[in-house]
Amino acid sequence: MNKKAGPMFYVFLALFVFFVMFPFLWVLASSIKPVAELFGDRAFKPFTDNMTLENYESVFLNYPFLKYLWNSLVVSTITTVYAVLVASFAAYAIARLKFKGKTFILGLVLSVSMFPQIATISPIYIVLKNLGLTNSYLGLIIPYTTFTLPLSIWLLVTFFRKIPFDLEEAAKIDGASLMQTYWRVILPLAIPGIFTTAILVFISAWNEFLFALTINTDDAYKTVPVGIAMFEGQFTIPWGEVTAATVIVTVPLVIMVLAFQRKIVSGLTSGAVKE
Amino acid sequence: MKPNLMPSNPKPIEAKKKTKSKKKLSERSLGYFLIAPAMILIFIIAIWPVFQSFYYSMFDLRLNNPVKSEAHTSYSVNLQTYLDNYPFLMNTLDEEIGEASGKTKEELEAIQADLEKIDSELQKDSELKVQYDQVDERLMVMKPVSEDLAVAELNKEVALNFEKTVDETTDRIRELKGDLKNPNDVIGLSSSLSDSIITPNFIGLKHYKENLSDGRMWKAISNTTVFTVISVFAELVIGLAIAILINKAFFGRGLVRATILIPWAIPTAVSAFMWKYLYDGQNGIVAKAFESIGLFDRMTDLLTSSNGAMFSVIFADVWKTTPYMALLLLAGLQTIPSSLYEAAAIDGASKWKQFLKITLPLLKSSILVALLFRTLDAFRVFDLIYVLTGGGPANSTETISILAYKVMFAQTNFGEGSALSVIVFICVAIISMIYIKFLGRDLLNDK
Repeated sequence: MNKKAGPMFYVFLALFVFFVMFPFLWVLASSIKPVAELFGDRAFKPFTDNMTLENYESVFLNYPFLKYLWNSLVVSTITTVYAVLVASFAAYAIARLKFKGKTFILGLVLSVSMFPQIATISPIYIVLKNLGLTNSYLGLIIPYTTFTLPLSIWLLVTFFRKIPFDLEEAAKIDGASLMQTYWRVILPLAIPGIFTTAILVFISAWNEFLFALTINTDDAYKTVPVGIAMFEGQFTIPWGEVTAATVIVTVPLVIMVLAFQRKIVSGLTSGAVKE
Repeated sequence: MKPNLMPSNPKPIEAKKKTKSKKKLSERSLGYFLIAPAMILIFIIAIWPVFQSFYYSMFDLRLNNPVKSEAHTSYSVNLQTYLDNYPFLMNTLDEEIGEASGKTKEELEAIQADLEKIDSELQKDSELKVQYDQVDERLMVMKPVSEDLAVAELNKEVALNFEKTVDETTDRIRELKGDLKNPNDVIGLSSSLSDSIITPNFIGLKHYKENLSDGRMWKAISNTTVFTVISVFAELVIGLAIAILINKAFFGRGLVRATILIPWAIPTAVSAFMWKYLYDGQNGIVAKAFESIGLFDRMTDLLTSSNGAMFSVIFADVWKTTPYMALLLLAGLQTIPSSLYEAAAIDGASKWKQFLKITLPLLKSSILVALLFRTLDAFRVFDLIYVLTGGGPANSTETISILAYKVMFAQTNFGEGSALSVIVFICVAIISMIYIKFLGRDLLNDK
């Protein structure tokens, strides 16, 4: 295969990047236009002469947007910490210890991660409602287990398997107990994998929509995706605010992606590729 | 918690074998101990709800209707509702009897006697009597009554008799309407009394039967299938092409990789709203672009015609997930040794032949895994369509998940909604079984 990149290749690459990024760039350009320029002929001009930040101000002043961001942050962080913690024990056992039924358990975990959320929502909703947990943080953290825990186990198992078994053997010969081996040998080596898993789990919890939409209907507990989706007014959609809010949500994610791209890619492709 | 692996070992040689088996045992129990919390959580929060959904789907369960808001398999009486109405009904009847005369009076007295009969029948059961008195006491002093205390099971005959008598009473009072002083009070109390009987709302597989003969359900299934097949196929072809093209060293790799990740990373609901803006019939730039290249006659067609809406939804999905697909396939491509291609080139194989004979076979499992995840994801699509079109126009983009959601939360018909969600679950299970058959056990094995 031709491994050299010619000029045509860079043209293609530029087109590809442009196509992928275009919606963001357009939304960014729209968000700094005055509202009047979002309609009519001027709507199709990419740049404005009257740059303004009024849409950004409005997002924070007229909508509980800061509250949405905070809610998303709280729910996603707690979900991530507890899912990764519980999953790390299970993943360690599946990857490193010998016991019967491992393949079955891993198969079960994989199947659960494929469950359509809609199939679990009616009982979960009714139970949470009866417990008075709708419109609370716990009301989202609990159901988020359905997809974060299988995802974490699946990713961590592949990371734990990559740690060479020789190290464990050596620790055993030196007389370390299983727990000592875990804390002193395995865990330090697994930290990059755990971190990668945490990033992916955090993103999946941050982006979740169906549970957030049905369980937390009160503005005080809405998460960002639902909050933005509900920006819709009764008759018109406030496009100025929508574009500004989209930019506010996207920028931190872009920074995160730029900072952790190697880790994210290794997480996304582990388990999917047989080496 | 810590298994003791260093036992006092006075006779090392004889004890060696024993320690070894002990070690194995402790490793095994430690294994089960470590996976237990995760398994328990998965069981409670993911597996139990699926069974519960199936259970609910066999009931006429409606959250906005107090008599049907829970699944009941047997007859029971809500003593709180009963005692909130029965004494007042009797009192009102007393008052009416005092005012009435002749035939009306006789009829009212007969009604009262019938009601007393069912009341005494209720109190005949000693267990029920205890509950009856407790509820009565609490209502007297205005204390709240817990649901457990309020609801008591009844046997079928008593319940049916109760229901029949109360219904008859209401009818008889209605006939006397003209002769009564406060007819509406009496009728109101009497008909509320009938609400205190809870009849089983078990209906078996009726929801499934209805759904399977309902055009809207089949339309939703076909919409979901169209969406899944076209979007996954487009993502695979475009993703594979991109992966092959960028599988080389070039300047700005990191930037391209970050670009690829951004659509994947932002919430689907947010990107759907972004596309809604770009597709807008008056001011959307993408709608304008499609119109000017002749893809659509009018800008508004994109979100207001059936085909336009389906196209829009698929296009937005392809934009969001193709980069992710390319990434998965790229990782697969990188595991193919370049020496294979060199050897093939020396043997004079064309690029196309190399693709067919080397790339595709070696990439098979990567492709299948990517397809499996993408197909299942696409089949349960919800956020994108909910935000972008809401299932419209005229249900032309309504997928099965959207339909189930609407039935459950807009119509509050949880029984039927659960039946639909079980149907989604079965479809997903069938799709995964087909893929797993192709993939074999590769997916789960250690190496």
